[in-house]
Parts: sequence; structure tokens; C-alpha cells
Amino acid sequence: MSLLHTLFRGFDRVRPAPVARAHCDIPCGIYDPHHAQLAAHTVIRMNLLIRDLKHPGPEATLEQKMEFHAKLGRYVATKEQHAEIVKHEIRVLWGDYFKPEHVQANPGLHDLVFRTMKAASKARQEINLAAAEDLLKVTNEIAEIFWKTKNIPTARVKAPYATERETVVPKLG
Amino acid sequence: MAPSMAPGDFVIVNRWSYKLGKPAEGDVVVLRDPENPGGHLVKRIASLATSGGYFVVGDNLEASRDSRAFGPIAKDLIVGRVWRHVKP
Repeated sequence: MSLLHTLFRGFDRVRPAPVARAHCDIPCGIYDPHHAQLAAHTVIRMNLLIRDLKHPGPEATLEQKMEFHAKLGRYVATKEQHAEIVKHEIRVLWGDYFKPEHVQANPGLHDLVFRTMKAASKARQEINLAAAEDLLKVTNEIAEIFWKTKNIPTARVKAPYATERETVVPKLG
Repeated sequence: MAPSMAPGDFVIVNRWSYKLGKPAEGDVVVLRDPENPGGHLVKRIASLATSGGYFVVGDNLEASRDSRAFGPIAKDLIVGRVWRHVKP
């Protein structure tokens, strides 16, 4: 603590000086497309689980039927929730992170965000693996643009999740 | 204005600095917030706009709301140049 700063703090208590703000937004600038990508993978995973879920058949016991319906309900609810997370995360990047100069350098960005919203809605509404894969595809494209704006190179790798789909990762460090 | 300034820092503003001279590129200035009456901002002069106004930006480009959002500012919005900057 410098002596001058302590002195100023003393003055400021007695007669507060006007505050000059340096930011009108969250100053930390912490953004990452990872949450959106993770949620898109979850939507794919839920479609796979729903696809592999065995119907218990007419001879099943009440418990077996209940288990089937409970699992199906959970998978569908999680699928819908994560499709909505993709939309939320992309909206935050689009509204708060991306600046006009980023759009200038990536003219397709607005259209890509629009397509991501549509893809997420479709993946949310339907049990449709192709729609979920399409959602991951556009989310990955946004991730590539995001890292490009930070001059950080990216790689397309096989995700280390049960979906085993391609995912975009930044090459950090 | 990170990394040059942090919350809690004090700035001493010379209100007479632009009575005669003009703001120059790179000057750190305090200005009246064009979007928030009564509020003040601290920004850096980036350039003189073709309209005669000044284009001000924050040092923390990713998080700053500045002329990229509210456009160039008129000279009479500038309170003065930051003459001294006191850190803790």
C-alpha cells in the first residue's frame, strides 16, 4: 500500500471524489465455447442412450415398465436441457464476447449463430441423432472462430467422451 | 483499463489540459459517460474521428465498452487528461 494511495483514500473518505469507471461490462472477459460444445456432446449422448434403450415389451413387470419410462424421461429431459444450454452459451458469446471487428473478419458469424439456434431447437424438439450431430458441427465451427479471434490455433480431435465425435480444442501453451 | 489501471486506483485529472491543446492519441482521459448521465469513464484516445469527435477505447479491449459501442465522443465530454495515477 503506497503512502500516497493511503493519503488519497483518507481524503476520499472525507470528501469522496467522482468515480471514473473503466468498464461498463464484466471486466474479466472470461469466455469459452467449451460449455456449449460439452452440452452439444450431451445432446448426442442422450440420443444414443434413447436409441439403445430396450422397450420392456407387453409381458414386462410393472417395475420393468416403470424403469423404462423413468429412463426415457430422464434422457429426454437432459437432452432438452442441454440443447437449451447450447443456446444460452452461444447467445452469451454472441452478445457479450464477439465484437464488430470479429464479425468483419468472420462474415459468416451471424448466420452461423442463427443456424446454431435453429439446430439447437430441432435437437431439443426431436429424438434425432442427425440433428444432434448437426448441432455439434455448428457449435464446433463457432468454437473455431472464437479461438481464431484470440489467435489461438485449434485442432479437431476425437472427443474423449462416450460420444466419440469430433470436437474442436484450442492448442494452448 | 486493465492492465494499466485497476479498481480502487486514484487518478488526478488536469481539467485545463485541453483548454488550449487538443487531446492526442494515447492520452488517458476522464470523460462524461455518453450513455449514463452523471457517470464518468476513463479511456484512452485512439484517434480523431472524421466527424471531429474522438474515438476512445479501453485498454482491456475484450471487456471494455467504449467508442466501438457508443461511437466517437465530442471534445466537450472530455473532463481532462489523467495527470497522475495512484496505485495502492
